[in-house]
Amino acid sequence: MEVSGAVITTPAPSQTAAARQWFIARHDLGSLIDALRDSGRRVIGPTVREGAIVYDDIASAADMPAGWRDEQSAGHYRLERRSDDHLFGYTVGPTSWKRFTFPPNLPIATAHRGASVAFEQPEPVLQPMAFIGVRACEIAALGICDRVFLGGQFTDEDFRARRSAALIVAVQCTTSSSTCFCTSMGTGPEVRGGYDILLTEIGEGFVVQAGSPEGAAIVGRLPTRRPTHAESGAAVDNVEATRTRIGEVMPIAGIDERLKLQLDNPRWGVVAERCVECGNCTMSCPTCFCTSVMERSDMEGRLATTERQWDSCFDVNFAKVAGGDFRARPRDRYRQWLTHKFSTWMDQFGSMGCVGCGRCITWCPAHIDVREELIAIAPPIPPVVRPVAVDPVAASPGEYSLARLASIKPETEDTTTLSLTDVDPAFLKGRPGQFVMIALPAFPAVPISISRFRANGIDLTIRAVGPTSTALTNLHPGAKVGVRGPLGTFWPIEDAYGRHAVVVAGGVGLSPLHGLVDALVANHDRFESISLFYGTRTPEDQLFRDDLSDWTSSKLIDVAVTVDRAGPEWKGRVGVVTTLFDKILWDCSKVTAFVVGPERMMQASVQGLISKGVPADRIVISMERHMECGIGLCGHCQMAGRFVCKDGPVFRLNELGELFNREGI
Amino acid sequence: MATTSRVARPRVAVAKFASCDGCQLTFLDLEDQLLEIVSRFDIVEFPEATSRRSPGPYDIVFIEGSISAPDHVDQIKELRKQARILVTIGACATAGGIQAVRNWSDHEAFRAAIYEHPEWVESLATATPVSEHVKVDAELRGCPIDGDQLLELLTAVLVGRRPQIRDEAVCRECKRKGVVCLVVASGEACMGPVTTSGCNALCPTYGRGCFGCFGPRANANAKSWSADLLRSGRPPDEVWRLFAGFTGYAEPFRSVVTELGKTRG
Repeated sequence: MEVSGAVITTPAPSQTAAARQWFIARHDLGSLIDALRDSGRRVIGPTVREGAIVYDDIASAADMPAGWRDEQSAGHYRLERRSDDHLFGYTVGPTSWKRFTFPPNLPIATAHRGASVAFEQPEPVLQPMAFIGVRACEIAALGICDRVFLGGQFTDEDFRARRSAALIVAVQCTTSSSTCFCTSMGTGPEVRGGYDILLTEIGEGFVVQAGSPEGAAIVGRLPTRRPTHAESGAAVDNVEATRTRIGEVMPIAGIDERLKLQLDNPRWGVVAERCVECGNCTMSCPTCFCTSVMERSDMEGRLATTERQWDSCFDVNFAKVAGGDFRARPRDRYRQWLTHKFSTWMDQFGSMGCVGCGRCITWCPAHIDVREELIAIAPPIPPVVRPVAVDPVAASPGEYSLARLASIKPETEDTTTLSLTDVDPAFLKGRPGQFVMIALPAFPAVPISISRFRANGIDLTIRAVGPTSTALTNLHPGAKVGVRGPLGTFWPIEDAYGRHAVVVAGGVGLSPLHGLVDALVANHDRFESISLFYGTRTPEDQLFRDDLSDWTSSKLIDVAVTVDRAGPEWKGRVGVVTTLFDKILWDCSKVTAFVVGPERMMQASVQGLISKGVPADRIVISMERHMECGIGLCGHCQMAGRFVCKDGPVFRLNELGELFNREGI
Repeated sequence: MATTSRVARPRVAVAKFASCDGCQLTFLDLEDQLLEIVSRFDIVEFPEATSRRSPGPYDIVFIEGSISAPDHVDQIKELRKQARILVTIGACATAGGIQAVRNWSDHEAFRAAIYEHPEWVESLATATPVSEHVKVDAELRGCPIDGDQLLELLTAVLVGRRPQIRDEAVCRECKRKGVVCLVVASGEACMGPVTTSGCNALCPTYGRGCFGCFGPRANANAKSWSADLLRSGRPPDEVWRLFAGFTGYAEPFRSVVTELGKTRG
């Protein structure tokens, strides 16, 4: 959205001193270059040469690329005419500003050998410079170079001299290329700082801002006026439109850690077969800083000069020592580059080495798009939407919501599954691992896990051990019961995405895990593998025998059962559930385990999992305690600082720490 | 280099086999340094420059040209015996040169087509680099070689160090010079990514794609680059010519030329 420059002298009212704006007509921009040159600066900016927009010395606005745009893709760059005369209607070209702050060839020492030996360093002697048309990604790149060369114990004084000699005239991007990904790297397209003067190109000229006293002084000498509302608005809109056009092209979150896990990914070899190791990516990169030194001498070796040259980690000699090459294979060198840019740079300098300018993509003659490689090598972890517990219905201990008993199914001699229907919709939005308080008039309420979520109701699997549970299991279909819930914490299924999900159940402990297994199976493609290890005292104590058989035949989950004791008709495993752990053959750092059962079984299982190497924060357990109110107000279920009903019953092992497995808590 | 111990005023010979003499001329083109060179090196054998002849042994022998005729084979072996350091110079001596294109052709048919009396012409069916016949201590690449690299090699011999000659893609020189990539920005065919540097990106600087005259650089991914040139729509014949042109007999260009030759007919 651009506006024609109707001359209105009233300033935009929202302007503060910090965001003060001016307008300069396009045909007056030459006055900026004149002012910079008059102040003794070497002015470097965009100009058309050899079919591209390069950064080079410019003498006047006539040297600038009026009415050009560029078309860029992997290994492809062409200049084309625009329909207008915009001066910055293109994106970044082959040159980066490091050419001027960190020259490709730099004499760094001279040495003499005669009667004595002497080494001398040249003093940086520099004409003040002005960089015209520095984009947001390029300002970010200069910032990265600052950290590399000036941020540590040892500094590059030549860089410091050049950097401080350069006045920055930034330009906000009002156009984009298919190779741009500043939006992903968080560097652009809007310029947020690091400039002396900022230009945003609109219809007939530029909205101008100053970022330093020197910038303001220069702007003060230019033929400017206040911009109109429409002009200021167009400047914002043009940059915002660029952001929208680029989009979020690369999922970058956690890429540094993602790459570290992929050092052996076979894709490194695949891309290395395409890569011609010309090093153009590193040479074009605005932050790559690798160099080598070359010695030159006279024929007697008495007078020598040392020149520093841009080098590249793709060079076959780059990691070579007398005894061999540390990165002998092309895949080693490609991996070195990409992991440095997007991962280990973070360790060294606290930021990525990439600003998303896309030069390494455009100038790769082998058409390799670094974004495709990153996504293929270190695929984005699917965004984990952590569910929030639904507000329970009838939270107060005296308040109940009614539900109708739809059917009753005996599971074992003393355990029965009640299917409730006509429940409040809140129950259907509950999560596996949560429980309800269920009551009959005249009986104390009891906490029961939700064993299954159905389309129109929930299942509660109840062992008849007391008066209430016995009364409940003796009900007939059609009976009404009071329920409160869903209550408590739930299984963090998302923590197992991309991992091996291991469910360990003992006896009736399978009840709170049943809904979890349903959810794992329904999302099976999100897990490396799913296993259920289920132990009971006898074969007759197994719950959900039909479901166990369905799960087994689905092949989506590996079901293994064992019993403590059995008659001769039992053909399966005999032994406690931990004896099934010999089936765990995976890298246990990639296991997330869910464990429920009698306390002693849980202790043994947790110990077994820990000794196999499953991290404590990846072992999730559900605790049993005396629960009455279910909302953390009655005090019965406390475990030290935790209310099991409210803070649990599902805990990660590391949340409990010393509380787990400790007597008398 | 086999040995880099310093010699007071090394005896130097410059010899040639099948070649155009352009590399030898690079010695003479070092006009500013020529007096110093002859004061520090005793150039005793250099038919291109002087009719004075001197037998070996020599401290350094520079060899131009490929081994293309029956008598070359014995001559190069004799020169090797006379040389403490043997340096091959130029695309012909290091890679077989342009004339190595005949290595993929019917030598007899060519001779019959060109010469009225082919039986008077003594030539081998192949033109091969010197290194296929004798041990070579150092190479200077290019068609012709680069004067600065020659000077660096001479200096290194005198000072007693390894010559600082990089083996990197021509692309690096383009990038340091600020030459805009012809492949990306103009769609030119260019051998820069697979060719070793040393020319200071001479052809690309003047808007021409690299002809590959310095030959394949270490680990050149010629397979990928030839596939890329074909994918970008160039006819196999053009890609064949690019790789075969100056240094096609040097691996890995040779494999590409052989492979493309099969489809070329």
